[in-house]
Amino acid sequence: MKAILHVLEYDFRNFFRYRWFIAGLIAMNLTDLFISAVVFTQMASASIVANYFQFFAPGLAVVGLFASAFMIGREINMEVRREIHHYMLSLPMTRTELAVGRVLAGGLRGMLYMTPLLITNFIVLRFPTLPQLLLILLTLLLLAIGISGVSISIAVSTTSFEKFVTARGVVYYMLFFCSSVFYPLSVIQVLAAKGLGPLVTFAQVNPLTNGSDLIRSFLLDSPDYIFSPLMLLNVAIFSVVFALLATFAYAKILQRH
Amino acid sequence: MGLRKLWLVIERDLRMFIQYKFLLIMRGIWFVSQIALFGLIVNKMVQEAVADYFQYYVAGVTIITLYSTAMFIGYDIFEEAEHGVFEYLLTLPVSRRELVLGRSIGGGLRSFIYVGPLLVIVLFILGVSNPLYLLVALSAMFLFAFGVSGMSITLAVAMKSGDKYDILIGVLDALIVRLSTTMYPTLYMQKAIPAYAAVAEFNPLTYAADLFRWGTGVEGALQFSPLVGVLGLFIFFFAFTFVGVVFYERRLEGGNWQ
Repeated sequence: MKAILHVLEYDFRNFFRYRWFIAGLIAMNLTDLFISAVVFTQMASASIVANYFQFFAPGLAVVGLFASAFMIGREINMEVRREIHHYMLSLPMTRTELAVGRVLAGGLRGMLYMTPLLITNFIVLRFPTLPQLLLILLTLLLLAIGISGVSISIAVSTTSFEKFVTARGVVYYMLFFCSSVFYPLSVIQVLAAKGLGPLVTFAQVNPLTNGSDLIRSFLLDSPDYIFSPLMLLNVAIFSVVFALLATFAYAKILQRH
Repeated sequence: MGLRKLWLVIERDLRMFIQYKFLLIMRGIWFVSQIALFGLIVNKMVQEAVADYFQYYVAGVTIITLYSTAMFIGYDIFEEAEHGVFEYLLTLPVSRRELVLGRSIGGGLRSFIYVGPLLVIVLFILGVSNPLYLLVALSAMFLFAFGVSGMSITLAVAMKSGDKYDILIGVLDALIVRLSTTMYPTLYMQKAIPAYAAVAEFNPLTYAADLFRWGTGVEGALQFSPLVGVLGLFIFFFAFTFVGVVFYERRLEGGNWQ
């Protein structure tokens, strides 16, 4: 446990070294909310989304969580390219402790970054009750660990920065466009009519859909969003699968390098 | 300035680009996912406001792809600095100016070559109402691609860290794309916050996207004269190609890129 805490400390120190990156991410998130969402509020049909700005605000917390939890992969990819991983592997700890520490650090850093965005949601929408708040935080933590896992798995499997950046873009677009982060799940049904039925199913089981709809169920007074324990279960399965995959990939692939 | 040497530099950048098979395939998936997912779904969500948002978005996303591919040359410059390829390039019997200008042209040209096949699909979806208008629009897009390539080189050589470059590109991308008409018409920007529409009026992405829509017939009339749009893109192209060349040339001397 102590070794894992050391890895967490190392990654948190690194996180605060990337002030520019954090500032850049915040700027990108804010442009999404205060430019795109504001304009789409004027365009979206009221029968589908009563207020797009309010609808998108919980999605923004998930967008921020995703972007910041994904940062750990960027650092690990850089370590592999600059061969810093030799130093990491020489540290007096097991490969598993190192890998688990990195996956957890990615998730916790995501939570830290996302907190101001979540507070913005509480201010713009409404404050949840204590049990609701705990459920939101638990779900987002699991989601962040899963995203960190996806990011690390990609980072150790790509040999150049461009490949990592492009893979990040593709994962981002597939996960976000096929989710209810940007638009309600009911609108995504349109894909089924175009012969893209499997994507509708993917959107329904997408952890980002479940994460953002869970927040909406507590913060939006809308009958369209009702909390279901299945939302939490879905995110938990995603988290466990990708955390294990990343731990295995990090420990094994780094040895091969 | 030797045209043959210039062409050799351009050819090298084109060959390097073709080597990125993995990236090109991934970016193709990215393009298709934007059209097939975001375009179709948002079309449903905004159908009361914009009659055919899908067509509007397809044209917009073509310009976004052209922009992001042209920006890619900056990543190449960082990769070369990191792996010591710069030193090799400087030993070649090519003048600094030929090297720099060749890279700027190569960056724009390869983005256009990459977008070419996607453009065929897009034209199949959108159709062409007036070939002459389309020709004007494509010429404007050429200027746009070279201008973006020059801008990317300018930013890449102005920064010493690949990480900072990536962040800056992300922020710039977020602002320049969102404050343009690539994703939504000016009318709704004006309704939301008039300042957004005012900024969008001077955005090169707005000129490129609106000219492309006009060229394909997605939009019958432009909010500005086509001549103004082409002129705006020419100024953008000229300014950044010139600035990019001067910056890059100065940076090359004395190991300033390290």
